[in-house]
Amino acid sequence: MSNFKFILHLFVLLLLQLAILDNIQLHSYVYINIYILAIYILPYRLRNATLLFFGFFLGLIVDLANHTMGIHMAASTLLAYVRPRLLMLTSNREQIDDIQGEQKISDFSWFFKYIFISTFIFNVVLIFCETFSLQNFLITCLRIIFSTLVSTFFILLYYFIALKKNKTVK
Amino acid sequence: MKEIIKLILKYHFTIIFIILELISFSLIVLHNNYQRTVFSGYATSFFGGISSIVTQVDDYLFLKVTNEKIVAENTKLRNEVERLKKINQAYCADTIWQPLDSTEVDYVYKTAEMINSSFNKTKNCIVIDKGRKDGILTEMAVCSSEGVVGVVEKVSRHYARVLPLINTNLRVSAKIKKNGYYGSLQWDGDDYRYSYLNDIPFHVNAEIGDTIVTSGFSSIFPEGKLIGFIESVNKETANFLKIKVKLATDFKRISDVYVIENTKKEEQQDLGKENYE
Repeated sequence: MSNFKFILHLFVLLLLQLAILDNIQLHSYVYINIYILAIYILPYRLRNATLLFFGFFLGLIVDLANHTMGIHMAASTLLAYVRPRLLMLTSNREQIDDIQGEQKISDFSWFFKYIFISTFIFNVVLIFCETFSLQNFLITCLRIIFSTLVSTFFILLYYFIALKKNKTVK
Repeated sequence: MKEIIKLILKYHFTIIFIILELISFSLIVLHNNYQRTVFSGYATSFFGGISSIVTQVDDYLFLKVTNEKIVAENTKLRNEVERLKKINQAYCADTIWQPLDSTEVDYVYKTAEMINSSFNKTKNCIVIDKGRKDGILTEMAVCSSEGVVGVVEKVSRHYARVLPLINTNLRVSAKIKKNGYYGSLQWDGDDYRYSYLNDIPFHVNAEIGDTIVTSGFSSIFPEGKLIGFIESVNKETANFLKIKVKLATDFKRISDVYVIENTKKEEQQDLGKENYE
C-alpha cells in the first residue's frame, strides 16, 4: 500500500469516526471506534518512536474533536506501544506482510485475534480513563466488552469493504 | 554515563511511551472536570492520610512536653479557682463588704514531679523534685489529679519526702461525702490499692461505691479532696464500722503531683492552741 493510499484511508477513517460514529448515541454502553484501524494497518517495519507519536497525535485529534482531552491519547498511545509485541505474539513474518497488501488474507483467525485483542486493550484504557474509578466495576466491564465487540465488528467491516475489495487473486 | 546513555537508547521506545502516557494522563486530569474532581479527591485523601500519620507521631513524641504544659496550666487554674472562690465568698457573705486582697487565698497549688516512690513496703515513701527552695514546707498536702497522695514529711533544699496514704504511719481525717460522718483513714500495709476508714459509728448508712473525701479538719488538706470509694463495709467492733476504701490514686502510676499550701494554717493552729490553753 502506498503512502498516499494510507493517508487517504486515515483521512476517511477519521472522517467516519468524527462525523458519523461519534454522533451515534448507544446508551453510553457502546463506544464505536474504528479510527484505530489506522494503527493496525501501519507497515510492520515502522516500530520506533514514530509509531508512538503517530498513536499519540491520532488520539489527540479525536480528543480535540470530542472534548475528551487525553483519554483517546492515552488509549491509542498504549495501542501503538503494544502493537509490535502483539504482532510478534500472534503471527509469523509472512502473515504480517498480509495486512498491508490488498490480497486476500490467507489465515483469518490470527488476524481476528490480533484485531480483537488490540481493540480490547484500547477499550479497557479508554473506558477506565473515562469512568476514573472502581465503583460499579461490573458495569464498567460490561461497557468494555460491548464496546470491544461492536468496534471489532465495524473495524472488520471497513477493513474488508474498503481495503481488501475484490482483489481475490494473488 | 556512557552506560546510562546506552540504557536510554536501548529502552527509548518504552521511555517515550511512558512520557507520552504521562502527558496524556496529566491532560486527562487537567482538562476534564469530572476526572479532575476524582483525582484531586484521591490526592487530598492520600496526602491528608500521610500528614495525619505524621501529626500522630509528632503528638506522641511531644507528649511529655505537652503533659508538663498541661500540669503547669492546671496548677495555675487551681490557684485561680481558689482565688475566685475567695472573692465569691466575700460577695455572697451576708456581712459588711470588705476589700479583699486577691492574693489572700486559702490554698496555693504548686506543681511537682515524683522522682522516687515505693509501694511494696509497709512504710512507703515518695520523693518529689521540689524542696525548701520552691516554698515546700513540712505538713503540706500532696494530691494528684486523681486524688489525695499524702503529706510532706521532710524537706531538703531541692527535694521533699512525702508520706503517702499507703504508709501505716499516716492517718488522714476523712469523711463520707454523702452524709458527712468522719473518721480516720489508715492503711493496713497490705494492698496498695486499698485503705481502711475507721471510727465510723455502726448506725451510719455507708454503701458500696460511696465517695470518701478529706474532711478539712486537719488544716492540711482542703476540704472535699477525693480519697477513694467504698469497696466493702464490715462491722468490726460493737460500735464502729471498718470500711474498706478503694483509693482513687493509683500509686503505681502517678508522676505529676500538686503540693497544696494552706496559707492560713498557722492562724488556724494558733487559734486552736489558744482555745485549748
